[in-house]
Amino acid sequence: MPTKVIDVPKTDPGAYNPGRAAGALLQAQAAHMREALRKRLQEFITLVEVDLTSFKTEADVSAYIHKATALLHTYHGRPKDE
Amino acid sequence: MSQGQQQLKHLVVLMMENRSFDHMLGGLSLEMENGKKKYPAICGLTGEEWNPDTKGNRIKIQAGAKFQSQLDPDPDHHFPGVDLQLYNEAPQGPGRTANMMGFVKDYFSQTKDVGRSHNIMYYFRPADLPVLTTLATEYALFNGWFSAIPGPTICNRAFAHYGTSFGQVGMDIFYILDRTILSIYERLLHAGKTAKIYYYDQASSTMEIVNLLNNQPQIFGTFDQFVGDCQKNALPDYCFIEPCYSDHPGPDGGEVLASDQHPDHNVREGERFIARVYNAIRTNPDLWPNTALLIVYDEHGGIFDHVPPPACAPDGYVASAETTETGAPFVFDRLGVRVPAILVSPWIPRGTVVPGAEDPVNGRIFEHASIPATATEFFLNGDAKRTPREEKASTFLHLLTDTMRADDDCVVFGNLD
Repeated sequence: MPTKVIDVPKTDPGAYNPGRAAGALLQAQAAHMREALRKRLQEFITLVEVDLTSFKTEADVSAYIHKATALLHTYHGRPKDE
Repeated sequence: MSQGQQQLKHLVVLMMENRSFDHMLGGLSLEMENGKKKYPAICGLTGEEWNPDTKGNRIKIQAGAKFQSQLDPDPDHHFPGVDLQLYNEAPQGPGRTANMMGFVKDYFSQTKDVGRSHNIMYYFRPADLPVLTTLATEYALFNGWFSAIPGPTICNRAFAHYGTSFGQVGMDIFYILDRTILSIYERLLHAGKTAKIYYYDQASSTMEIVNLLNNQPQIFGTFDQFVGDCQKNALPDYCFIEPCYSDHPGPDGGEVLASDQHPDHNVREGERFIARVYNAIRTNPDLWPNTALLIVYDEHGGIFDHVPPPACAPDGYVASAETTETGAPFVFDRLGVRVPAILVSPWIPRGTVVPGAEDPVNGRIFEHASIPATATEFFLNGDAKRTPREEKASTFLHLLTDTMRADDDCVVFGNLD
């Protein structure tokens, strides 16, 4: 017995409407996205405003480099060989 | 454990937007065959359900739902609006009983038009939704799957990810108040399992933003990657699919349509999306026998359903009267409105109906906390800290039996190019 195939009707032509007013869900999504960016921005600011003279040891510096590298990778993507 | 459960490797959850059970599937109960009900076990519509309108008229349910342009403005589904839909202005206090009589009144508050307020009572003829009704009648349909909260999207979706909304009943950003309650993805990853959220594309992105997108970027992929992972047998143990939430231009300048079925997005485009998710699993013979697909809606979107939401185990949080906007606090002790939910697997007999509140003996109640509860039980043997609500939530993989249906006994969808 062949597998039953059910054809799905095409979506009505003209359904596409990117000019539709954004509803509460999309507005909330944008607000949440902005909050996520704000938190990420704060991470950058914290690392940018660090007092480099406070680093005394290789461990101090490498801890900073670690955080900076990880943050930059989240923005620019990870190296291809990783 | 059944043969079907023993074979199971992947659990896929597709969560659509804002449609009630009766609106999408209630019409199945009115289908007749040889003078009898074709689907007698489905707890859908009798044809007699009604709501009063603001003029005092009885507005019966009608098979007049359209794919688009009918529920605009978007029906209210925020906490106070749903309270009106359920209780029809009954005063707050003990002994209050949901009668599901306030849907038309609530929609009138938005439309300011008596005639248009009746649109909230329209349901789809089964033939209009060939994908959803086929899957509902070919696999397992839940008569008693309710949204987690009588409120909107964000807090309801949180229950699917965390088993709680951490006290949130609205659309505000929610923060994880108890860091020992991990998302289902983090629980699985910490145990060496694999888990992913596939959002449609970057322009649509995810609704689980602040917590997971910010902290766990590695768990995300796109819908194209989901399809590719299905083809490559690279599907994670557990994954959650988000439909497209907006009409927007595609990267090649083409048209990308919202497929979430949120009013006023085109319902037929959502049908096509559900079919694409199903086909991606169904058409890979290496994946189909060991994958279960749950299709569920996040909440009812303000649209009529006739089943009063039942009580549930409180989850330990309290939303203040100020945040509920009803004049009373909410202790998360009752569920939201009933939504469509279908479990798909070749190990499920055709026409399975999971009884709900209509069957006081055998009925079981499911809600969105059932999702992480099921994944945690199956993949982690229940080993994770969870809210009391999730711990008490019903799980659903017992629906997979010892008998796998023949390949030619399971439908495929066509005309999707």
